[in-house]
Amino acid sequence: MTRFKELDPILHSQLRLAVVSLLIGIEMAEFTYIREQTGATAGNLSIQITRLKEAGYIEVIKKFRNNYPQTLCSITELGRQKFAEYVNDLKDYLSPKKQG
Amino acid sequence: MQYIYNISNILIKVNIIMENEEKVMTGEESLKIISEMINKTKFDIRQGSFYLLFWGWLIFVCSLSEFLLKKFAGVGHSYYVWLLVIPGVFVSMIYGFMTGRKAKVRTYTGILYMWIWFGFFIAAMVLFIVHSKSMYSVAPYILLLAGLPTFISGFLIKFKPLIAGGICFWVIALAIFFAGTDTYSLGSAIAMLFGYLIPGYMLKNRVDHDAV
Repeated sequence: MTRFKELDPILHSQLRLAVVSLLIGIEMAEFTYIREQTGATAGNLSIQITRLKEAGYIEVIKKFRNNYPQTLCSITELGRQKFAEYVNDLKDYLSPKKQG
Repeated sequence: MQYIYNISNILIKVNIIMENEEKVMTGEESLKIISEMINKTKFDIRQGSFYLLFWGWLIFVCSLSEFLLKKFAGVGHSYYVWLLVIPGVFVSMIYGFMTGRKAKVRTYTGILYMWIWFGFFIAAMVLFIVHSKSMYSVAPYILLLAGLPTFISGFLIKFKPLIAGGICFWVIALAIFFAGTDTYSLGSAIAMLFGYLIPGYMLKNRVDHDAV
């Protein structure tokens, strides 16, 4: 019988997965950069970033640059670990090994 | 009027719900998102081409001027042309500061790229201090050092002409070391041509081509 480990519900969402996949290869990115790359609306992206932040997967720093607010996002160690687990689970899901 | 207001309120709410509704993804879709996003986080190589061309031209002009002034004009203190390097350092620092401030993203490759070149700058400074009493003999060692960040940068951005440029530095360093001090300035100019300028222009063309 083939058993699938449930995919992490925090990451198994189009936009949240896109944000984490984007942040995995970079040290830090501005909110506007993430919006440009994912093609998401500011409202939706803001909601998904808050969810990722609440789950502890990403860190959000708000500061000012030239008197304009700037939101910087980076992945946390937990986020990195969860992303690796998600990719492993996805591999099992795509090429399942027969168990028992 | 109230009717229109209610309708627009409902439309806004529907839009928000639709935006936040999570579509069920298949495994293939997840993999596609992951690979697409990872591919988007490549290092911006435009910065790399600026430094290659700027330093390539500066050192090329200094080396060639020193060689020509010494060989054909008989100027004794031809090495004074190297003072041009001092404003060059400031221009590089200002450019780095300005582009760093404007950057919307910091990639790991970009950070590695920056520190490798910064490390080379420090090593070059140490070498100049160590050789301060015999500056005429420093060229092969500087070329030897310059080859390393050039070679590694070529691998980092997967750009073969830069890898070849790094190797050129080492070959020319070895050649001028055995050929004698008279060949140092001309050798350095040739090294700049093959190590920085040709790869620098090829890189710039690739960036301009990709941007079209």
